[in-house]
Amino acid sequence: MNLITLKNKNTQEVSQLLDTKDRNTLVEKFTSLGLPHKMTEEYHYFDVEKLLDTEYKTLEYVPKSIQEDDKIIIVDGVVTSAPKGLRVYLEVCENIDMEHFDSLYYLGHLLSPRVIKIDVDGDAHVEILHKYTRSNALINYRVEITNQANRHVTMYENFETDEITNTLVLYGYDMHIAQDSTLRMVRLQTMNENRYSMITSHRVDVAKNASVVLKNFDFGGDQALQLLKVELGEYAHVDAGHLLYLNEDSKRGTASQIIHKGEHSTSKQIAKNILDGQARGIFDALIRVEHSAKFTKAEQDSKSILLHEKAYMASKPQLEIYIDELEASHGATTGQLDEKQLFYLQSRGISRIEARKMLVIAFANTLIETVKDTRHQERIKNAFEEVFYASHKG
Amino acid sequence: MSTVMKIENIEANIGDKKILKGLNLELEPGKVHAIMGPNGAGKSTLSKTIVGHYDVEVTGGDITYKGKSIVDMEPEERALEGIFLSFQHPVEIPGVNNAYFLRTALNAKRKHEGKEELNAAEFLREMKKHLEMLGMKSDMISRSLNEGFSGGEKKRNEILQMLILEPEVIILDEIDSGLDIDALRQVSEGINKMKDGKRTFLVITHYSRILDYIEPDYIHVLKDGKVIKTAGPELVPYLEEHGYDGIKED
Repeated sequence: MNLITLKNKNTQEVSQLLDTKDRNTLVEKFTSLGLPHKMTEEYHYFDVEKLLDTEYKTLEYVPKSIQEDDKIIIVDGVVTSAPKGLRVYLEVCENIDMEHFDSLYYLGHLLSPRVIKIDVDGDAHVEILHKYTRSNALINYRVEITNQANRHVTMYENFETDEITNTLVLYGYDMHIAQDSTLRMVRLQTMNENRYSMITSHRVDVAKNASVVLKNFDFGGDQALQLLKVELGEYAHVDAGHLLYLNEDSKRGTASQIIHKGEHSTSKQIAKNILDGQARGIFDALIRVEHSAKFTKAEQDSKSILLHEKAYMASKPQLEIYIDELEASHGATTGQLDEKQLFYLQSRGISRIEARKMLVIAFANTLIETVKDTRHQERIKNAFEEVFYASHKG
Repeated sequence: MSTVMKIENIEANIGDKKILKGLNLELEPGKVHAIMGPNGAGKSTLSKTIVGHYDVEVTGGDITYKGKSIVDMEPEERALEGIFLSFQHPVEIPGVNNAYFLRTALNAKRKHEGKEELNAAEFLREMKKHLEMLGMKSDMISRSLNEGFSGGEKKRNEILQMLILEPEVIILDEIDSGLDIDALRQVSEGINKMKDGKRTFLVITHYSRILDYIEPDYIHVLKDGKVIKTAGPELVPYLEEHGYDGIKED
């Protein structure tokens, strides 16, 4: 399959090409937004056309009997294992966001009419492991997560690959965070050059008084873009943190929209970006405060360190505000390591190379340390240091 | 007089401005040398020049330490050789754990001296005794380096580093600024503990208050980028009475 064949096609043509039945509304949404290209705002800094204009093998998503394990394991888009007592099943998604900004969100739903549903009952810690084993393939799947009111869930999302090449992964979540509940999602992804590329398109709706924490740790090479839409109800809160460490000639990052719909909703979005080699980082983030969202508090900040003269960070924090009764701030800085801090470390006998490493790790740690569980905090620190030291030997 | 450090006719700029204008100074091993002078005399530039600060461009003269020129050395090389600057305004480094930083610095020095590196447990044992003496809470070493520290805590942390790294030439740049009496006494106690007749101190100060706690052997008056007078501690009361304008050049 070559996704570029969907370019500039009308609803009927797309329906025929994707063999969709009774899903005209979705097809219309997809065609109205169009297949992303380099002028599409959210994909502007990402070489999406190259990824879409490739012939991929399409996979058969045959459900397997789910083995008992301490984590949910999804292999090439198929659930193979899950913890006992957790409801994980395939079902048609009834609750698709019809106002998502990303056309690939709709394409994902069109390609995966049945989504992997995870119903988390009660308070829980859940780990999801995504494994990719197929080369030259289009791996497409979607996951829908629901929790219960007044319950607290923490999810850890990790990735593993075999020695694969030239695969494109399209996946994403539809998350429904119930009233008075909390969901924390900590995502760690280390990618290596030329293994696979990934576009994830998420939608998170946060009900009244609920809170969602989304921490994304993105390390290494290759191409990946995360598109995230969060909608906040009354007194709802989102705390989104994105740590990027990119090397080689990778292009990775986040394009997001956080939409305040309810009164007294709050958002905090912090991005820390460390760019090495000829990498390009992307942080294209919009916070929109609608008329209904009086007394909103919104904070957005992006800080970037460029370790190489050819590295580039596209940082674009934006506020779109329709009311006066709110507190909002946003900012973006891009620069080198702080010379005063470097000198201080050197003046204590620490070599400049080591001092640079210490400061980069310190910059990353300020976000990693917001992960409350110390075991996972250490795991993320180790993953970061491993990738960073691999490209800064000596 | 034997010398551990000799500053000969040093000239240095910060940006386009010439600050040190042919400064001469010899430091005698094991002695406390106080550098006093009015604002803008070049006191802090002198300390920056000795440690190789990136702000400073040396345009003439030489600094020799134990007979070896150091002006072309990197800052970390000077530190490893035993030169230590206690900063007037220590920087905050969020995310760098204080204990990790101190151990990294100590192990860099031990490695330079051909000694085995200390593991975390050995290091903590070594540090505990210093913390108590400086009146530092043990949680200060688990916090980020200088982040959120009060002025007094930052200065204590500077002295803690000095005690751990055991340098041979110690430059204290306005160590008393921002310290209350109790903190000043504790900091001075830490400094005096290092006075063993071998280590050399260069105490840079605007006010004489610190010299009540750290007794100097020599007073050097710095004015307009040059040392204009060197005398014994008896110069301090004279300076208090007459100010720097009353000093005649040697």
